[in-house]
Formats: sequence, structure tokens, C-alpha cells
Amino acid sequence: MKPEVDQILALSSQALMGALVPQLPPGFAQGSASLLGIMMMLSAQEYERGAEIRAAENADMRALFREAAPRIADAGLKSLVSKAAATEDRSLRISALNAENTELRRVLIRLQAHAEEHADRSLQRRIWDVLKASAERRLLRLA
Amino acid sequence: MTDQLSTQLEEYLAKKLDAPQLRVSDLARIPGGASRETYRFRARYDAGNGEIERALILRRDPPASLIETDRTTEFRAYQAFHRLGLPVPEPIALELDATALERPFFVMEEITGCDVASILNPDPYAANRDKIGRQFWSVLGQIAKADVKAIGLADLEGAREPNGTWHHEVARWEKVIDDDEREPQPIARAAIRWLKRNPPPPAQKISIVHGDYRTGNFLFNAAGEIRAILDWEMAHLGDPLEDLGWALDPLWAHGDPTHPAGLIARADAIRIWEAASGLEVDEKALYWWETFASLKGLAIWISAACEYAEGRNTDAVNAFSGWYCLAFHNKVLAERLSQ
Repeated sequence: MKPEVDQILALSSQALMGALVPQLPPGFAQGSASLLGIMMMLSAQEYERGAEIRAAENADMRALFREAAPRIADAGLKSLVSKAAATEDRSLRISALNAENTELRRVLIRLQAHAEEHADRSLQRRIWDVLKASAERRLLRLA
Repeated sequence: MTDQLSTQLEEYLAKKLDAPQLRVSDLARIPGGASRETYRFRARYDAGNGEIERALILRRDPPASLIETDRTTEFRAYQAFHRLGLPVPEPIALELDATALERPFFVMEEITGCDVASILNPDPYAANRDKIGRQFWSVLGQIAKADVKAIGLADLEGAREPNGTWHHEVARWEKVIDDDEREPQPIARAAIRWLKRNPPPPAQKISIVHGDYRTGNFLFNAAGEIRAILDWEMAHLGDPLEDLGWALDPLWAHGDPTHPAGLIARADAIRIWEAASGLEVDEKALYWWETFASLKGLAIWISAACEYAEGRNTDAVNAFSGWYCLAFHNKVLAERLSQ
């Protein structure tokens, strides 16, 4: 599909901020239109990478759960983590990836709290590696 | 729409200021954050000793607010610190009844001829960076120094006891996250657990905490003078280190965290704050409050994203906050808490 969505958004953002915003009266209208232009620019970034970062994050969490499950003594949590590790992304639609991501994050929060309660430092470090990678991937660039 | 608002405002102020001939002109909406609609206007009226024209600001509640904030608190904070002689606009009128302008609002003096920094501008203060920096941290120290009873704000919302400040604030913002998160937030949850496990020492005193003291929330002129500290809507009682931690947060650093708020070096900022406040900075306590600041940021951005996603307030600033600012603070906290 040419032009791609990200190109349309990026060029529309440039047109809005470069040609149209300066013609608006200073103040609320100009400020709001500029921010809409920035959101279009960020949306262009997100269109290109959105599916990839969600799929990568989901894969990272499942890999973590596969490693962690055997060392969890609590039977309920062990079962939850094992089941989450066995899930998979059946669709690359953002809504489907988000739904999987939400369920995996819920399990991750419980697993991290468990690791803290049991002073399992290596598991805590491993979880933070996943969270740091996720935070890095989701950063948005303004330039 | 502004014509109707202008007429309504004229009728209200004519009665409020006992100036039947009062005329409102040049009413125009200006940027002012998502939690209030902000307008500037001119009011011409006879103040008893001849006709005057005043530049004024109207801050009206939006249909839905980013964070539920109390406009009475905001108005009273403006009153108290204006009287104290800090650079704060003079508040003129507070109206909680929705009859006059459909929603509660207040009116205050407009400080003209000034700029406000955008957090997206890498160097908003240019040659005045040091001069503004010294004032910025000194004014924050003076806010911390103010006696809450003497300035009439001892009844504001917040912690009453020095050992209760941290718990009060964590509970407040945890509830915001509980109420507004539309997807699980592992980093925010980990931060809340860390803050609870590692409480800071009791506050040195109970101060007025501005609540959003940062770059972008003050006006400065071309001579490098800070003329107005704005946006007191989250003012409350608490630990003065809370404001310091928020002002030092890297989100407000214009890309250079070694110069928080895009101003002077961190060590100089803290030294000036200590001198102005008469308080000492305990590095461990400050570390806790800086961590809290990023968690509070997350809570605000989560709430902003919720407002936008649920259609209650579709100001683009809420979408921006829910994307850019949320991702930024997740990164800051992940780096900090994984050490």
C-alpha cells in the first residue's frame, strides 16, 4: 500500500506544522495544532514499530516465564506462570497483541512481587532486564 | 463561543467588582494545561478613582479534568503566596457556582510580556539560564520555608504529621493508578512496592508543596526575571523534598539531567534551595522523593491517557502525556529501580 500510513502521517505532520500552524493566531489554536502535528509524527513512528515491539515484549515475557516456572514453589503461581509461558500470539493485529500483552503483564507483576517477597535476586534481575528492554523499546523520539 | 463567554464574564465581573459599566474585550483562549481552560482578556471599568483597564486571566474547569484538582485550593494558594511577596499573580475572584459560566472558575491578574518554556525546547532560557536558575531554586526554597499556619493554608489537603507525608502521597497516587490504568503497569507497580519497602525519614517540617513546580510552569521576561509561578492546582501539605524531587525530575531537564529544569547544575540548585528554605537535603531522602516523583508522573500520565481514551477530555496533550511522558518515566524508573 503506497504511500504507507507512516509516510502520510509524517508528511501531514510536516505540512501542518510547517505551513499551516504559522498562519494560525498565536495562543491556544497554534499550540493545539502544533501538538496535533507532534502526535501525527509520533503516530507515524508507532505505525511502523507497533506490532514488532508488542510481539517482542510478549516473546520476552513468555521466555522469562519458561525459565522461572520450575523454580516457583507456590503451586498457584507456578501454574499461572506455566500457562502464560505456553500462550502464543495468534494474530498480528495490534488489538490482539495488546490483549495478550495485558494478560502477560498481569502475570509478570505477580511474578515480580513473588520474587521480591522471596528475595530471589537472580529472578528479580532477569525480570528487570525484560522491563528495561520493554521501556527502551517503547520510548518515543521527538526528533 | 467566546462572544457568549465574554458577555457572561462581563455580567459576572460587573457584579463582583461592583462596576456596572465594566466591559470585557479581547477574550481569547491560551494554552494552559488540560486541567483548566485558560483565557486571557481585558476588563475596563471604574475602580472608584477613574477608569482602568486590567489584563486578566480566566481559569475555568473543563468538562472533565485531567486530575481532579480543587480550584479553591489553587485560588487560596495564589492568594497566600501573592501576599507573601513571591512572584505569583494576584487572584481576583473565585466562583464555585456553575450558574455564571457553566462551570466553576477563577479570575486572576495576567502577567504580561513574558514567556513560558516548552519542555520540547532544548534551550528555552538561553543567555538567562543561570539568572533564571538561581531564582527558580530560590523561590522553591521560599515556598518550602513558608509557615503554613502563618499564611493561612494549614487546612489544605495532605499529611499533617512529618512521618506521614510519604505514605499519604504514595496512597494518593496509587489510587489514581488503580482507578485509571487501562492496561497493567508493571514498572509503576514495582515502583510502588519499592517506595513502600524503603520509606524516607520523616519530613523536616510540614510545608506547602506546590505539587507541579517545574520548567514550563513559570513565566519569565526578557531580562531573565521570573515574574509568575503558576499552576498551584495540586498544592497540598507535605514534605518540602517532594517539590524538590519533582523539579529535579529528568523529564523537565530539557534533555540534560545534569542541569535539572534546563537551568543551573544540580549541586548548585540544591545548595540554593537549602539556603532559601533553611532546610538540609538528606541525599537518601531526596533519592526516595525523586523516585516518587517519577511514579507520580506515571500516575498523571496514566490518568491523562485514560481521560483521552475514554473520550472525557480529548485535548491532544492527554494523548501526548499518555504516550511520550509515560514511556519516558517508565524508562527512568526501570533504570533507577534495577540498580
